Amino acid sequence: MDELAREFPSREALVDYVAGLCPRLDDHRASEIAGGESAARERLQAIEPKRYGRTRNFLDGAVTGLSPYIRHGILTLDEVRNEALGRCERPAQIEKFIQELAWRDYWQRVYRRHPERIWQDVEDYKTGFLADEYTDELPADIAAGETGVACIDQFIATLLTSGYLHNHARMYLASYVVHWRRVRWQAGARWFLHHLLDGDPASNNLSWQWVASTFANKPYIFSLDNLRKYASDDINVASADNAEIDASYDELTRRLFPRLGKSS
Amino acid sequence: MSDLVWLHEDALSMDHPVFDRAAPGSLAVYVWDDAYLQQVDYGFKRLLFIYESLLELDARIVRGDFVDCLGRLAREQGGRIRVPETPNPRLQQVVEQLRGEFEVDVVDGRPFVSLPREADLRRFFRYWNKARGAAMNAGGGAGESC
Repeated sequence: MDELAREFPSREALVDYVAGLCPRLDDHRASEIAGGESAARERLQAIEPKRYGRTRNFLDGAVTGLSPYIRHGILTLDEVRNEALGRCERPAQIEKFIQELAWRDYWQRVYRRHPERIWQDVEDYKTGFLADEYTDELPADIAAGETGVACIDQFIATLLTSGYLHNHARMYLASYVVHWRRVRWQAGARWFLHHLLDGDPASNNLSWQWVASTFANKPYIFSLDNLRKYASDDINVASADNAEIDASYDELTRRLFPRLGKSS
Repeated sequence: MSDLVWLHEDALSMDHPVFDRAAPGSLAVYVWDDAYLQQVDYGFKRLLFIYESLLELDARIVRGDFVDCLGRLAREQGGRIRVPETPNPRLQQVVEQLRGEFEVDVVDGRPFVSLPREADLRRFFRYWNKARGAAMNAGGGAGESC
């Protein structure tokens, strides 16, 4: 049993020290997101729960960035909710905000009751494909952020450099991996858990299952038009650079799930 | 006799109810278990985030096997271990192994809402319909919201 250090002259010194603890990892870049309760409290003071309800689906919306702290028990759902209630006149004004906290509570409850669901398909895919028609491994171009779909590659770059991704971008990316590339959700979930600071087996894996349709009534897909509505200015949404996702929902459904139309 | 408090990755806080139960002078510890961290395959950013969070806690950081480290420290402290509740099966397994030799007290965190154990979890909105009233109140207590 070794005692590990608690005092460092700078964050760089801390980064070097932790890198020395895990030489097996080849990427020792730090995220800009700082750990610890003081950073968590700073973010908690900055939440805008009313604006969150109106803007949370937009990639530059008023999201809180609290998930890494909640994931590690640095903040609890209870205190975040109570803080938010103090910033509105009526609870109904912040129902969306509280509902998103409730999603995490819900996933944790499912995890406790059914730990086996974390890595197993809860239900069959509703895509017309069987589970074994999906690839088990994450393709190398996805892992490297070189898919050729511009916005997807930008989301991957953000994931790899910051360890954080807006929830809507996670859904777009998960949908691309599972439905466009026909990769099993487990491969994508493992990838996210490796990179995300807030990676949680329950929230992460069950959300992947929701996108995949193994824990939902239908698969989640998106189109370039939908992404354009929610994208921030820095996202490349040009048709020429995003051809694979540039079609109507009907057309994408026909392309991605060709067996569905035949059975209905 | 003081207690050993095991702060694992689901509870990196000195504000957890586990400390309300712990005897004065208890020792809090985080165990950096390389085998576990390799098994869960956390990337460097995540590991740094965890370590940076530990620096604000009044806790020792030790490196080694979970059961070995916690066992040694618990013997020094007097034999009782208190642990924040976790849904993580691997961490639960450690708790079960420790129970063979020590008194281990698993302490729940503060709930977001109190719901019956058998609450319907088949889809989120079944849960939300039951949870909403309490969730919209400070403390997650019962009562009409809005």
